[in-house]
Amino acid sequence: MALLTVDRLTKRFEGTLAVDGISFAIGEGRCVALLGPNGAGKTTTIRMLTGLLQPSSGAIRLEGMKPGQDLRAWIGYLPQTPAFYGWMTGREFLVYAGRLCGLSAKEAYARSDELLARVGIGAAGKRRISGYSGGMKQRLGLAQALIHRPKLLILDEPVSALDPIGRREVMTLLGELKSETTVLFSTHVLHDAEELCDDVLIMSAGRLAEGGSLSGIREANRQPMMSLETEGDSRSKEWLEGWLKRLPAGFEAASATPAGARLIVRDLETARRTVIRELADADVRVTKLEVGYTTLEDLFLKAVAHS
Amino acid sequence: MKQWFVLFNKEWLEILRSYRIIWLPIGFIVLGASQPIATFFMPDILASAGNMPEGAVIRIPTPQPFEVMAGALSQFGVIGLLLVALSGMGAISGEKASGTAAMVLVKPVSHVSFVTAKWAALLLLAVLSFAAGYGAAWYYTASLFDSVGWGEVVQSALLFALWLGFVGTLALLFSSLLRSAAAATFGALATAAVLSIASSSLPFEQSWNPGRLSGLAAESLNAGAASPGDGQGAVWLTVIVTATAMLAALAASARSLKRMPSND
Repeated sequence: MALLTVDRLTKRFEGTLAVDGISFAIGEGRCVALLGPNGAGKTTTIRMLTGLLQPSSGAIRLEGMKPGQDLRAWIGYLPQTPAFYGWMTGREFLVYAGRLCGLSAKEAYARSDELLARVGIGAAGKRRISGYSGGMKQRLGLAQALIHRPKLLILDEPVSALDPIGRREVMTLLGELKSETTVLFSTHVLHDAEELCDDVLIMSAGRLAEGGSLSGIREANRQPMMSLETEGDSRSKEWLEGWLKRLPAGFEAASATPAGARLIVRDLETARRTVIRELADADVRVTKLEVGYTTLEDLFLKAVAHS
Repeated sequence: MKQWFVLFNKEWLEILRSYRIIWLPIGFIVLGASQPIATFFMPDILASAGNMPEGAVIRIPTPQPFEVMAGALSQFGVIGLLLVALSGMGAISGEKASGTAAMVLVKPVSHVSFVTAKWAALLLLAVLSFAAGYGAAWYYTASLFDSVGWGEVVQSALLFALWLGFVGTLALLFSSLLRSAAAATFGALATAAVLSIASSSLPFEQSWNPGRLSGLAAESLNAGAASPGDGQGAVWLTVIVTATAMLAALAASARSLKRMPSND
């Protein structure tokens, strides 16, 4: 059952198409990553979903929402850089956010304390937000997005601005949250998407380049692959350059650097034999030879490069 | 309605925490008290200024108490307006620039409530400050000169408070339309100045002009004079036009916020 259905959503800014007619659906309870390089239109899409930006055309529907109902009541949103009133304490801001969402004062206080503890800033709840670090603001942002138990949690680059420790902590939190609600988050880091998500939507230049369940996409685009690296001495480089030019049938170079290459092959067994023989004959200084299957990263790079 | 009070409480808390609740009334009290005091001591001040020739005689007629109060109003009309516009500057543009407006408006919050809660808090602060300042002017006028009647003072205070509220509303409107807080302050004050100058210098009758309000307030202090404006009807017309203009400004402000809740 699709919780959110987006139909030919388009946004035009003074002549440029930021988002070009994308359509997708998000199933209830799924965790979805909106992937894409910077400038692909991820933030614009998210801002339209949250109602901060009026779409030029297209429709956004939430399952179970009556016409004329406020979409915003169902959505919790954490912007890329959450902004707060510095003169409020963390707890005050959460209570404020909760009461704006229609919670009673008592409920709002209880829920705020619960969420402060949950995101790990319980002790800082009584301090002014102006003294918070970036990581603490991110956690407070997550808490305010969750305050009214939204059906859909939308996060815009939730971990990009954090240091490695903060990043790990927020990722762990998100891992817990995805079992409770439907999550849509944007990122340009493929690894984050692979770690958390059930589904991915890959955007490139305003269009949806690829979309579907992570395992499905991985399966559909899985190709045998070899990765070869050499020490990078002149003889090895020379050989590699020459060999890439006269690649035998069944090999296709996916990417190459002077010292190494990634090759998509037709049959792993023959390819392995051929390459090892070639390497031994030419006496190449190999540092790494990996035989396996294409990763999501190969697909991501391909999808982004093709459109 | 409950949500509106949540928004209003937040605005009022901000006014308390930023100490605007202290400095704005103080500003108005200083303005209001200094007018009767300075007028009362003017002969002494001039006499002690020193560079008068020997034997010079200064005769300043003692002003009527209502004239002193009108002097205080004209102080409020210049510096008081500036204070109100400054205290409201960036009310909306600041929230749009920092992103807090977007944080609030992704919640199921009505744009009209967001604007009117700010407006109500701003106007309440302005009216309280003005009442304190005008009260100070009244007290010193009564102790140093002579008393001014309740009726005249209250009527003039109401008219002037409406003028202050009108300028505060303009500041809020410009704050939602323009990105820069300074430009919003300037826009509000410039509009107020143009209306005010037009009302006093253009030759034709302008009973619709809100810029008349400060003049009407000063005139209504004088119990002896004929009723201000040309009869009560004209005053009511001005009041109604001003109130309508304020409502329209609030609607425009909410509309602009709905279209663009943040700058990027």
